[in-house]
Amino acid sequence: MSDRDVDRRSFLRLAGTAAAAASLAGCSGGGDGNGDGGDGETGDGGGNATDGEGGNETGTEERPEPETREEYLQRANLLLHEQAPWVYLNRQYSVYGVSNEIQWEARRDERIEAYAIQPQDGKRSVRITQSQMDSGLDPHDHRETPTDNIVLQAYEGLLGRDPEGAIVEKLATGYERIEEGTVRFDIREGVTFHSGEELAPEDVAFSINRIVKEDVGGLASPQRDQLAGVTGAEVVDGERAVRVNSDGVNPIVFQEFATYCDIVQRSWIEEHEGSYINSNMNGTGPFQLENYNQDVSVSFARYEDYWREPAPAESLEITAAGEASTRVNQLLGGETDLVVNVPPQDAGRVQESSGASLSAVPSTRIIYNAMVYNREPFDSTEFRRAMNLAVDLDSIIENVLSGFADPTGQPTLEGFVGYNDEVGPFEHDPERAQSLVEESGYAGAEIELHTPVGRYLKDLEIAQAVASQIDNLENVSCSVQQRDFQTLAGELLDGDLSTSPAFYLIGWGNATFDASQTIIPLLTSDGALTSYSSDRVDELIQQAQSMTGEGPGSSGADGDGNQSGNDSSSS
Amino acid sequence: MLSPRTLRNLKREFDRSALAKVGVALVALVVFVAVFAPLLAPHDPTAQSLDDKRLPPLGFSGTENQTTTERVNGTVQVVNETVTVNATADHPLGTNALGQDMLSRVIYGARTSLLVGLLGTLLAAVVGVPVGLVAGYVRGRVDDALMRSADVMLAFPSLVLAIALVGLWGRAAIRVPDPFVVAGLAPGMPRTFTLPGTVIVVVGLVNWVWFARVARGEALALRDEEYVKAARSLGASDPFVLRRHVLPNSATPILVLATIQVAAIVLLESALSYLGFSGTELSWGFDIAQGRDYLATAWWISTMPGIAIVLTVIGINLLGDWLRDALDPGIEGEGGGGA
Amino acid sequence: MSFGRFLLKRTLQGVVVVWGVVTVVFLLRFITPGSPVDVVAPLDASPELRRQIARELGVDRPLYVQYFEYLAGLLRGDMGYSYLSGTEASARVFARLPATLELTVAATIVAVALSVPLGVISATRRHQPSDYAATTFSLLGISTPNFWLGIMLVLVLAVQFDVFPTSDRAFGFLESVGHLVVIAVDGPLVPPGEGTRLVVEFPLDVGAFGRTFTTWLSYIVLPAVTLGTYFTALITRLTRSGMLEELGQSYVQAARAKGLPETLVRYRHALRNTLIPVVTVVGLQMGTLIGGAVITEAVFDWPGLGTTVINAIQQRDWPILQGSLIVIGVGFVVVNIAVDAIYAYLNPRVVE
Repeated sequence: MSDRDVDRRSFLRLAGTAAAAASLAGCSGGGDGNGDGGDGETGDGGGNATDGEGGNETGTEERPEPETREEYLQRANLLLHEQAPWVYLNRQYSVYGVSNEIQWEARRDERIEAYAIQPQDGKRSVRITQSQMDSGLDPHDHRETPTDNIVLQAYEGLLGRDPEGAIVEKLATGYERIEEGTVRFDIREGVTFHSGEELAPEDVAFSINRIVKEDVGGLASPQRDQLAGVTGAEVVDGERAVRVNSDGVNPIVFQEFATYCDIVQRSWIEEHEGSYINSNMNGTGPFQLENYNQDVSVSFARYEDYWREPAPAESLEITAAGEASTRVNQLLGGETDLVVNVPPQDAGRVQESSGASLSAVPSTRIIYNAMVYNREPFDSTEFRRAMNLAVDLDSIIENVLSGFADPTGQPTLEGFVGYNDEVGPFEHDPERAQSLVEESGYAGAEIELHTPVGRYLKDLEIAQAVASQIDNLENVSCSVQQRDFQTLAGELLDGDLSTSPAFYLIGWGNATFDASQTIIPLLTSDGALTSYSSDRVDELIQQAQSMTGEGPGSSGADGDGNQSGNDSSSS
Repeated sequence: MLSPRTLRNLKREFDRSALAKVGVALVALVVFVAVFAPLLAPHDPTAQSLDDKRLPPLGFSGTENQTTTERVNGTVQVVNETVTVNATADHPLGTNALGQDMLSRVIYGARTSLLVGLLGTLLAAVVGVPVGLVAGYVRGRVDDALMRSADVMLAFPSLVLAIALVGLWGRAAIRVPDPFVVAGLAPGMPRTFTLPGTVIVVVGLVNWVWFARVARGEALALRDEEYVKAARSLGASDPFVLRRHVLPNSATPILVLATIQVAAIVLLESALSYLGFSGTELSWGFDIAQGRDYLATAWWISTMPGIAIVLTVIGINLLGDWLRDALDPGIEGEGGGGA
Repeated sequence: MSFGRFLLKRTLQGVVVVWGVVTVVFLLRFITPGSPVDVVAPLDASPELRRQIARELGVDRPLYVQYFEYLAGLLRGDMGYSYLSGTEASARVFARLPATLELTVAATIVAVALSVPLGVISATRRHQPSDYAATTFSLLGISTPNFWLGIMLVLVLAVQFDVFPTSDRAFGFLESVGHLVVIAVDGPLVPPGEGTRLVVEFPLDVGAFGRTFTTWLSYIVLPAVTLGTYFTALITRLTRSGMLEELGQSYVQAARAKGLPETLVRYRHALRNTLIPVVTVVGLQMGTLIGGAVITEAVFDWPGLGTTVINAIQQRDWPILQGSLIVIGVGFVVVNIAVDAIYAYLNPRVVE
């Protein structure tokens, strides 16, 4: 990688790693809602003229050059469908088991806000069982959903999202773009930390800088990429407001703040050591920490001086059980009120039971098989397309995932900014796949699909099904290689494409609701986790990222950006 | 190694003990199944048929609640339906969540278990026996150093150490061509068989100490035997004495220990596979782990491979009892490590 | 050699072994691919930042320096800080230890309480139905993978018949006993999920303690049985064959000939001599028990050291992994010294 284009490189690098880490980790911080989350009928390749046509770039390029940011992103998605750098698999659902003793609706971003839980019939305390516990309580020193779900009960950000994904104000009472690279947040009054002290603009600027600057706040935050493009923040002199600067336009800056960046109290952080901050909490959120039993449970009490109405639940306990069946048994046994990741095979038991029910929503995570573009036989577009045609995605979704997933055909999920609704999933066509393999010149290829085990819902079973369907082609043989997630992730993230397996299953959560945070890290030349490189895709994305997208009909800084995203997706 | 007297003892004990016969029969059955797996298995154990997923074993037909989703106005609705699932003679032990034939998987699983058991034991013996013999024969500091390092090894429970090593080193797998399929005798069966390489190395490494301890004990005792002393006084070199006299006369206890070790390693392998620290999907422990998710809906997925493990280990243990009772090397109880 | 000197010698040997354990655990990191910096550094870390992190973790220094620092830290009770959460590794490891101890002790109690009588019955009623039953049980017991046994127990007793909870640990034994003291103010401990604590009538409510204890018991029964079965079977076999051998010895026949009561012969003499080798084997098998605890914890989501080890391996959280392994190793060494001491006490001949 040369330094030929410093500007582009730096934003790609920053932006790229953002979602990368998160989604990869099997737990991206939670996206935001996405409008209606897709109607699940995208399947069947409906309206997709390019399917099975040997995907040539020229067809796409005869179209007129895009004009808006969204159109650039949509064009990139079309191109990425045709070039098939991935075997497109499923959009994962978040499936929760909910006891009848509480009322709660699942969010699309994998987050559980206990503030929204309504205990029924005089019940006062609520218990949530996740798949694993936190990796420490410092809100800026982690990046997995399980930790998020514990931390977010006590800490809050400037902006948030409603259950549908629209941006709402939290600790900010107003937000606007002042100039290209600068935005301003007005800070809410009358908010207190659990320590009793009042929230000041200095705390907000400090929190942002603690994430984006290595030398602020005593840690190099792994969340720097979640605020991709942001270079720093400062208090506006004499006002209760904070100015945030970005490197370049940063079209998705408000989306980032709606999902990330917990606000901490500056003096509290500066006075304490890392291990203290990791085992105590001092935020402004609706619950305050009562007892921290690391690896076992975290219990909270309602914060009575919360700036909104105090939470309906008086107390809250979060625990974990690694085995899905264990969580379900605990729920059915009345031992807990809310469990995450109910596996499809147990969905019936939960639904049938008298004491609990299911709550399922499409998540912001996509599961895919990357095919590294410069490794044989995946350097052939024909071969890559053949792999997509060999896979019977509908059968996998129906039989392995019991319908708890949507099929995909492009890297961007339905309802996201940049989703191209002309592109559907590939059809299952093994014969065409076989002839494409012949055309590619790689007939007889032997490939190995690397997969983590237990990281994503049914990851190994999906990989086994995919490998078996590819293996059923007469001219390709395919087997599965189980991998330790940490090692696999290490190989993918070390910045050296040649150390990564040529063919691997991975999942990606994109919390920003914007195509750029999937494509940049995964599919541009300098992406942190890239498996693909195409000048044209790079160019389209660079164009898109130089526009604010805040014109008519696209996401805006006035807080309805997401709204418009939703509109386009529901059409 | 096996003197006529030894053989007589073996035969007498075999005739006397019904359990010995059961053990030999079970082990013979498992070995037979493992060797001829491609000819015996009714299906390719890796072949999937998603439409035939989770079929019950013969005699357990019934109804099952299936859940799927529907989109209503953009929200996900969960739909329950009751369907009848019929067992078929095609899949006598049922199928797993991917529609793979459980009987074929149980048959092929015997290969993984036995190969890991035998190769792991062999490796442990190859490492442990020479070390033990030398230590016991030379005594002194070498012996002290060995005994202390053996104690250090023993301070790590073998399962814990094995998990750590496989988890940290990765799950290397070696694909070996299947001779029956190569010879065209078993069309439609997998062309290669996957050996979990790291697991074999690791189970060997965590179990060598048992062999070292037993070999050392034997060497300590044999060292002072008259014929060994005689050999040395005649100018035989130490390596020669060790190879020619000490090793052959230690064979019996080592053989009995090896039997116990095979059982222990079969259990260890299944535990590693169960926890996901393996390199193959054709393993009883792996299937038990897969079935864990389906305990309430498809109990047979975990149950069948479990029964296979129990029968195999019973067989090996009975075989070990037979050898021990017939040869009486007095090492009962050592060489532990059940998972 | 006196008993005291024997003990001193064993203790010194134990110290050497512990030092070896620490060394092996420390070196494990260096024979494992990947660097601790990968675990800690953000994905987009610059080379300078990575160097800075390496410096902060201290992993940029020569091996021997790191080694001596680690040893020095251990002597102060400092196992370093978790790479992931930044919390003290020693605090975390020792917080998990009681659950594992509780489980292994419960399993040992189950095993000893069942196996010795079984073995004796089996030996004294040879070739009777009770002997066959005990022999069959012990054969099954040593041949069944305990994780599978656990799963089957859950399938039958928790999923089908709902007698026991499927998993998890309600609270610690000490907590439940300690609660007897405060019960008047706070009511019985309740299992996870039942929320508020009942307010209990004054004066001291023995019933509340009873319910607390029963709850504790209901959670530990399945894991303890799962873990204890292999051990029960093993000791039954040893006791049976040991008893048979002893009962055939000339001193037993002599005692019988002298007209000593059969019970006295059996239990005073034969059993006592049988138990001597049994104790040694139990000590040697402690490693198996602790290893079994790891997988039993995984099956039952028991929050002990085993689950900590597995998580730490998967997350490459070295300080936690190393700390846990050292605690397990030290535990093993201590148990073995205790076993040797008991052995020496029962059988003074070993203290030559």
